[in-house]
Amino acid sequence: MRTSDRWLYFVVVFLSLTLRAPAAGIADPKAALHQANKAYNDGLYNDAVGMYKSIVDAGFQAPELFYNLGNCYYKVNDFSHAILWFERARRLDPGNEDIEFNLRVANSRIADKIEAIPELFYVKWFQALVRLYPVNGWAYQTILFFILTLLAASCYLLGNRIFLRKTGFWAGILFLSLTFCTLIFSVSANRQARGLHEAIVFDPTVTVKSSPDEKSIDLFVLHEGTKVHVLDKIGTWNEIRIANGSIGWLPDSSMEEI
Amino acid sequence: MKNGPIILAIFGICAFSTFAQQAHFTVSTKPVVAVGETFALTYTLDAQGVNFREPRITGFEVLSGPNTSTSSSIRSINGRTSISITYTYTYLLQALKEGSFEITPASVVVDGKSYQSDPALIKVVAGAGTTSQPQGRPGQQGQQVPEEGRSGGDDVFLKAFASDDNPFQGEGITVTYKIFTKVRLGNLSISKNPSFQGFWSQNLLKEGDQGAQYNQTINGEAYTVAELRKMVLYPLKSGKLTINPMEMECIAQVKRQSRPGTGDPFFDDFFNNSFFSQSYATVEKTLKSNPLSIDVKPLPLEGRPADFSGSVGSFTFRSELDKTTVKANEPVTLKFIVAGTGNIQLIDRLDVSFPPDFETYDPKVVSDFNTTTSGISGMQSFEYLIIPRKPGKFSIKPVPFTYFDLGRKTYITLLSPEYTLNVEKGTGATTGMTYSGVGKEEIQYIGSDIRHIETRPFLLYRGSMWFLGTVSYFLWMGVPLVLFFIVAILFKKQAARRRDTLLMKNRRATRVARKRLRKAEHFLKQGDKDPFYEEISQALWGYMGDKFGISNAELSLDSVREALQEKNLDTGITGSFIAALQETEFTRFAPGDKILRMEEVYTNAMELIAKTERSLK
Repeated sequence: MRTSDRWLYFVVVFLSLTLRAPAAGIADPKAALHQANKAYNDGLYNDAVGMYKSIVDAGFQAPELFYNLGNCYYKVNDFSHAILWFERARRLDPGNEDIEFNLRVANSRIADKIEAIPELFYVKWFQALVRLYPVNGWAYQTILFFILTLLAASCYLLGNRIFLRKTGFWAGILFLSLTFCTLIFSVSANRQARGLHEAIVFDPTVTVKSSPDEKSIDLFVLHEGTKVHVLDKIGTWNEIRIANGSIGWLPDSSMEEI
Repeated sequence: MKNGPIILAIFGICAFSTFAQQAHFTVSTKPVVAVGETFALTYTLDAQGVNFREPRITGFEVLSGPNTSTSSSIRSINGRTSISITYTYTYLLQALKEGSFEITPASVVVDGKSYQSDPALIKVVAGAGTTSQPQGRPGQQGQQVPEEGRSGGDDVFLKAFASDDNPFQGEGITVTYKIFTKVRLGNLSISKNPSFQGFWSQNLLKEGDQGAQYNQTINGEAYTVAELRKMVLYPLKSGKLTINPMEMECIAQVKRQSRPGTGDPFFDDFFNNSFFSQSYATVEKTLKSNPLSIDVKPLPLEGRPADFSGSVGSFTFRSELDKTTVKANEPVTLKFIVAGTGNIQLIDRLDVSFPPDFETYDPKVVSDFNTTTSGISGMQSFEYLIIPRKPGKFSIKPVPFTYFDLGRKTYITLLSPEYTLNVEKGTGATTGMTYSGVGKEEIQYIGSDIRHIETRPFLLYRGSMWFLGTVSYFLWMGVPLVLFFIVAILFKKQAARRRDTLLMKNRRATRVARKRLRKAEHFLKQGDKDPFYEEISQALWGYMGDKFGISNAELSLDSVREALQEKNLDTGITGSFIAALQETEFTRFAPGDKILRMEEVYTNAMELIAKTERSLK
């Protein structure tokens, strides 16, 4: 038993290390972040953009980091970049009210106003549930409920009292179903954030074509800052859909994927 | 027309005779004009008149007018001095089409008496004639006079001067229109004003003022020079700006130098000599000044503050707040004063932001200026009346005033001090309202902006921050599962082992008990009572423990009863077994005769074990 204890300890330490892989890289990301925040507070938005950008380029991620970068772009009136980074932040933390608010403000400053197709009520509810927690929230909960299920199962299997075994049985069933629910939510949150191909238009004015060909018919005109869904890709052309459901083709060069 | 009273009394011995006492109001014009010709329609009054009622002019285009001019002359004849004033109202008309036109009489009031002019009859003929037909009679001189008029171009001319033709945008320049003349002029009127497009202009000559007059010699010729108009212009935009020329009409007395040749050399010679050439012709002349081209430099973009609103010059800025402690609902005045030289009148507002709870009104703007040749200097004050409605401590932020300093060629921002206004509770009923629920106010949104950045420390993830699907995610799932199985298997194994020992004990229970009873029998025969009871007790307890898997620590009367009941043994057996256990314990530790019942206890124990064994099978 003593050797297995030691082994358990080793596993726990290993897990805690992999879960929160501490940031190591550019000299001191915490200090860099602090500096960038200070530049923003002092109104040196252009400098702040560069500082946040260097942290991002060094391979760091955090919804707050993207959100701050979006704020800087907004302050220098670069609304399409602001929207891009707010969208990226929202993907990591879908329920965050500040991100949602600033994204809305930034969207009100761009040229295109597109009526979005309203979603069905159950889709909306499901989305609301999925967005209840930051990106990894559901995944953490899956782990938690899975471990609880195992504990309950051990109570049921190994308990030598009737009461303990009964409790273990019902709790096990409850925790197992919760595990499955949270697994579904976490997978769908993950798919929404990573699987969805969305992009922001970056050309001041761009004409959406009817087919992936420069010579094809012009369908409609989009302006910078508008979000599009990328449905398909042929060569350098992307089939896109805007919020009102219209579909057309745009070249790679005029947009940037979120 | 504002620029009407440009008076050139010094030139103008008026061409029209004046009479004393009785006022005369006459009209004069050309009786016959050609289509397209520009001519003057002049009303003359030899007294001071008011209320000039304009005639109705049909068939002509009014190019300008009525331009009013006054001339006065002092005459002294035989010691009697008389002053005569002549008022002229001049229209500049252009004939549009052929025909005869009548211009209705004009009227004027002199000393309460109304005078009416005659109607003017003008015949318009189809004309080859261009502008500036001579006024003289048609006849022998007809052809010469215009020649003289043209040759007299050097005699009279109009010229515009700009003090600087390369100013900064917003920098004042002085533009002067001067008339140069060698001859006498009269009836001067402006037919076309210069256009100051792209400029903000301010007249330097006040109404009724006369410009400077002096003599100047140009190319050896003596000219009399008069400043007709003088203005300061502030360019409103940068780039090349053109000031269109000014045009004037006047009547010049031109020296007649040549007479029509009679063919008689003597005659000609005689009349062309200096003495006779003193005769003059009255010529109507059109004067045109030169256009001015001003190249306006833009203000430097570099270092231009965002709040710069176009003030150029050199200014001072101060402010006054009449009191710093007031009661709510009492008015306070805050005054900003900009003083200095430059385009000061163009400062139309200051960027003052008051606390939102203040009631404010549009500022009262008071200007006080002097126009001098160096531009406009003076001050402009903005007086804000503010009424604080709520008690509290309010601060009025410093108000910036930015201008471009021409001397230093830089932008300068002057700041007013920050004022703190202490508003005390007023006596009025309105302030009391604040504290009752009725008077509550909606929050007023003054601006909108994005929310602030996240400044609290947060976790930075290196690389992807996704947890789902990563190695560690699966480890977190897998390791507990493996642990679960390990624990479960270990538990099961141990349980099985324990079950084995219990089974063995169960099987050996009767044998062990019998062994103990045999030992007890041995003690019974010897009469050794204490070891006997101990063996009996151990046989009974041990049998129970082994048979029902109860450990020694848990062994008690209660646990035994529970175990027996659980096996659903006959209540009789349970009861007697418990009783036997109790009795044995009692007898063991109680003083008294123990030997008597030894035999009975022994057989009882033997029987009980046998009975239990039977019923358990």
